[in-house]
Parts: sequence; C-alpha cells; structure tokens
Amino acid sequence: MSKKNLICWLLIFISFMLFSAAGCGGKETTAPGAKENIKVGFSISLTGIYAPAAESQMRAYDLWLEQVNERGGIYLEEYGKKLPVKFVYYDDQSSTDMATRIYEKLVTEDKVDMLLPPWGTTLHFAIAPLTEKFQMPVVGNTACSIKIRELDAKYFWFITSCIPDRQTEALVDLMKEHKNQLKTVAITYVQDLFPRENLEFLEPYLKAAGFEVVLVKDYPIGVSDLSSLMAEIKRLNPDAYLALSYPEDSFLITNQAIEAGLNPKLFLLLVGPSIAAYDAGYGAATEGILTQGHWSPKRGWAGAQEFYDGFVKKYGERPDYLDSVLAYVSCEILEQSLTMAGSLDKEAVRDVIATSVFETINGPIEFTGVENMRMPAMWLQWQQGELEIVWPAETATAKLLIPKPKW
Amino acid sequence: MHMNYIKTAVIAVLLLVLFLIPQIATTYTTSVALNILMWIGMATSWLILAGFTGYISLGHGAFLGIGAYFVASYWQILPLPILILLSGIVCVFVAAIVGYPVLRVKGPYFVILTLGLSEFVKYSLIYYEVNIRGTVGRILLKTPSIEDLYYWILVICLLSIATAYLIKRSRFGLALMSVKDDEEVAEALGVNAALVKWKAFAISAFFPGMIGAVMAMRWTYIDPYTVFNPMMSFQVTIMAFLGGIAYLHGPIIGATMLTLLSQYLWARYPNFYMFALGVILIFVVMFLPQGLAGLISNMKLPVLLNKYKVENKSLTKEK
Repeated sequence: MSKKNLICWLLIFISFMLFSAAGCGGKETTAPGAKENIKVGFSISLTGIYAPAAESQMRAYDLWLEQVNERGGIYLEEYGKKLPVKFVYYDDQSSTDMATRIYEKLVTEDKVDMLLPPWGTTLHFAIAPLTEKFQMPVVGNTACSIKIRELDAKYFWFITSCIPDRQTEALVDLMKEHKNQLKTVAITYVQDLFPRENLEFLEPYLKAAGFEVVLVKDYPIGVSDLSSLMAEIKRLNPDAYLALSYPEDSFLITNQAIEAGLNPKLFLLLVGPSIAAYDAGYGAATEGILTQGHWSPKRGWAGAQEFYDGFVKKYGERPDYLDSVLAYVSCEILEQSLTMAGSLDKEAVRDVIATSVFETINGPIEFTGVENMRMPAMWLQWQQGELEIVWPAETATAKLLIPKPKW
Repeated sequence: MHMNYIKTAVIAVLLLVLFLIPQIATTYTTSVALNILMWIGMATSWLILAGFTGYISLGHGAFLGIGAYFVASYWQILPLPILILLSGIVCVFVAAIVGYPVLRVKGPYFVILTLGLSEFVKYSLIYYEVNIRGTVGRILLKTPSIEDLYYWILVICLLSIATAYLIKRSRFGLALMSVKDDEEVAEALGVNAALVKWKAFAISAFFPGMIGAVMAMRWTYIDPYTVFNPMMSFQVTIMAFLGGIAYLHGPIIGATMLTLLSQYLWARYPNFYMFALGVILIFVVMFLPQGLAGLISNMKLPVLLNKYKVENKSLTKEK
C-alpha cells in the first residue's frame, strides 16, 4: 500500500510541476505603458449542448480577426496608430455558471479591452448584468427574445431583427398578400423560449388577420420522432404549415414531411434552413422552404459578398445566414466604434455605440435602447439553391414562391 | 489534547480566511471561492444520504434546480432570507414526497430511478412553463452583489458540514451507516431502515435547495435546461468519490480539488482540459478507490488526521 501511495504522490507532484511550468510560459511579457494590441475577450461553447451551434459564431470571429489584423489592426487616435487585435477566450461548456465566471475573469484578471458575446440567448442573458456592472459595452449577436427589453441595459445591444413580436407580424403581413391561396394554418413548436415567444404573437396575429388555425402542437427539445405529427398535419391538409423549430428538429421535420408526402402551399421552418448543412443535405428539396433571417449577399450591402467569399475560402462552406452574419456584424461594430471613439475608453465607446449608425454587411445598424430598430424584420426563402429575402418589399431580393413545389 | 489544539487552530484560521475573502480578494477570486463553497455544500449534503447509507443518488442537482426556480418565482415578492430558507424547505417537502416510494428501490435501480426522477422534474417544469406560463426561462433583476451571495453560500456550506458532522456522531448516523453495511441485518437489529433513509433523503435535499436559491441570483437568468442539467448531479458524485465518500472531509477535498483543477486547466488549455480531467478521473478510480482523503489518511506523516483515520477505519473496515 505504501509503495502505491508513493507513486500516487509522485504523479501528483510531477503533474503539478508540469502545470505550473506551462503556466509560467503562458504569461504575457508586455511592458507597462506600451500598448501593443487590443485584447478582445469572450467565452465560447466548445463543449456541451451549444457546441454544434456555436461553431458558426466562432468561425465568424476568427475570420474577422484574420481580416482585421491583415489590415494592420484597428486605428486608434489615442495612440496615433493601428493596433492589432488579440483574442482571449475560454470554453464555457455551454453553462451559465462558467460563462459568468469567465466574463469576470476576462474583465478583472485578464483585463481585456473589449468583449464579444458568447453563443445563445441564455448566455447573453447570463452575462448582461455583469457587463452592466463592469460598464463594459457588448454588442450581442446570437440572442433573440422579447425579454431583451426587460434587461434595461445601458451597455448591451442586440443586432437581430428576428424579435418574435416584430417578425411574426411581418410573417402575417406576408401571408396576407397571398390570402387567396392561404386559409388554414397548422403550427408546431419546440418547447423553448424563442419558439414559444413566437407562438405567443403569431397565433393572435393570424386570427386577427382572418386565418383559421387548425392545429397548435408542441414537442420537447431532442425529440427523435415526429412522424405521427406529420401524418396528423397531412390529414388536416392546411394551406400553410408553420414549424417554429430549432435546427435539430428542422432536419427531422424535413425528413419526415418528405416521407409523409406533406405538401402545404407555404412551409416554414423557423431556425435551421439557413445553416450550410441544410442545403448540403437536401439539395433541390429545399425549394420553397421559408425560414427566419435578414441577410443575403445579393442584397448589395457593402462587404457582404466579400464576407461570403472570404468565409467560403477559409472554411470550405458557406456561412450561416443568421449566426455567422450576426457574429461578424458584432465584430464590425466593435471595430468601427473603437475607431470612431478613437480610444479604448469604455464610456466613450459606449456612447458611440448607443448613438451612431454603423455600416455593416447587414446594412445600416442603429440602436434604439437595446434593439436595432433600423433593420426591418425579414423572411428568407430557398429558391433554386439560394436563400432569397422575400419580405419586406423594400429589402427583398426575390418574390415569394407560392405554392411551394411538391417534394 | 495537543492535537486537538492544532486542529482547532487550523480550522479557526481557515474560517477566518474564508470570512475575509470578499473583503481582501478580487472579484474573480471571490467568484472562484464562491464556486468551491457551492460544490462543497452540494457534495457534503449529497454525502448525508449517499455516503452514510450507500444509496448513490444521481438526482441531487434537481433540488438545486427546484431552489433556483422557487427563488425566480417569488423574486422581489418575499424578503431574501425567507426566500432562501423557503427554497430549502420546499426541497425537503419534495424529497419527502418522492423519497417515500423511491427509497424502497435498491442498488443500481435506485441510481437509475434518481436520474429519471430529476429528468421528470425538469420536463414537468418545461411543460408548466410552456403550456401554462407561456414562456421558458426567467430573468432576475437587481440581484445582490457577489460579496453578499458569497456570505450566503458560506453560511449554507458550513451548515451542511455541521449537519453532516452531527449526524455522523449521532444514533441516527449510526443507524444510517448500519443500513449501508447490511440493510437486512440492520432491520433485524431494530433499525427502521425505511424511516432513517427517508429522513436522510429529506435532510440532504435542504442544502441544494438553498444553494440553488443563491446561485439563481448569481446566474440572473435561469431556464430548465441549464438549472436541471444532469451534469450537475454527475459532478457532485464525481467530486465526492474523488475526495472519498468514507470520510466527512472527503467531499470537501474533492470539491476543492476538482474545482481548482478544472479552473486551472480551462484557463490554460481551453481545448485540452476535458481530456486532462478525464485522465485524472480514470487515475483516481484506478489507484485511489478511497479518494484523496483516503490517500492522506493512509500516510503516516500528518498526525493531525490520525484520529479521523482510526474512527473511519473502525466503521468501514469490516465490510
């Protein structure tokens, strides 16, 4: 027993020595006073339930980092020169507990100059009170909920216009244009915050506009079979089927709707069809699928096509029209606001973000409170292998294809 | 006598340091310390059922979730101390209700049942949120500072250790440990096994309920998927085993070591630390079946802990 114990202690000692040696090597050796780079910190879900989704965000961050440093960094008047950007990030394991600790570390220990947000609504909400407390401005990207207005934040903003009340209103407006073809509607939703909030507004809007809602049904996250639900919808034969879904179940619904031969005139899958794996998996079958989003490289926003090409070149597949675009826009706003403020002073940067108009790959962006009210809520549709903006008319790149062709 | 003085002095210094941390340390150090205390509280309260009776529960995290949701539901309606206390009491009631049938099941069936039970609580809550409240997740505004939360967690953590200590020294504790050694024999000797297990389960649920209440204020946004994450329960179990479940200080050492270690690893090797943690856990299970506490206890050097060793050996040796 004692020999074994000795081995144990020896191993513990050796590993401790190794760790501390590695730790020393990693320390920074920047002379005080001489600012050599701009440190941008964030947490990312490398592991855990958000990990598959967070990749499209991380890739956009990395692409921007590469591009901004190729340009020589960000120009700051305060220093009279361009400073390169350096990322400091940690894995939050998709946990709110970890994310809060990481942002505390980033601000108080690593002393980063600026912050980028983690992935998803939950983690955005978890860190918002902290960034508020530290008075660190953060432009949120992959988060969306009507609860953002509850936050009452001065240092936090949300880019997306996919806010449930705004986007469902736009959807019903779109449907009203085709009311001669659309009378009955079936809705399904996955049991989580964002889909549930969409339902909250969608159902009354539809009823007020005179549509007949023939089915509203929910199912849990991680569901593995929806074939009986597809059969039921087929039996009801609605003109429009609106699936308030997440990527995982968007794939499941597509598979099982094809199997069931479910062919409504309007087919919506809320989140999922904008990611690259969707059209890679279904090809021509995507024709006519409607989904949420507010971006297309064809719209002609400055830098949009370059972003698309740069992303494809670096990663070998197209960006997610939602998360990758939003994450990249966050970085663009960060970059522009620093240059406009001319310094790394948090208050100055905050004021710039709160009051300026930013030209991004997703068009002009301007915040009213925490929300980007400059961008209207839009809807995308798959048409001949490309996602087109089909609503509203002023930003559309194509007209709505209706009825959706059969599978 | 001399040894007792040293022990008391060490504990007193430790307590003083713990008490002073928010005053002297940075916010980040306080947050790390808060995290360690939270896991110590979780693992020690877990020990009251699992360590003493041998009924390994994989549902301990569910009580944390219930406490968190209770606070979120009555946030800014009830005063803070009452809110925290009630969160614990609610969990005691929940444990008493579910524990009655559940504790009749033994061995691996019990382990699986507790896991299923926490998933059941999670999905019931999701159903309630989605279909009745019409939303999922809650935001807590105007939460107390991290320093205040730290003191709450410190008090709850110390309470859980004191409770476990007192139970271990009591007749009730002996009854629990007799259940662990041989439930049938214990019954034959007049121990009401069903009753003592039931009591232990209810008591052990009190602390995670209160911890959940405090942590909800720290996380400020909670939804069922994050507060009822089964990884919470697994982590509690892993910490207790790492420290050694035959010892009262086992979960304390386990929780401290694992939290510090993972802290150290994720901060330096963001892409590698899960792998390293896995290797360490395999190592512990293979070479340290009695946990870190067992390793310390087996050494001849720390005279300080010899007394513990004798106590524990006498209780666990004759299995």
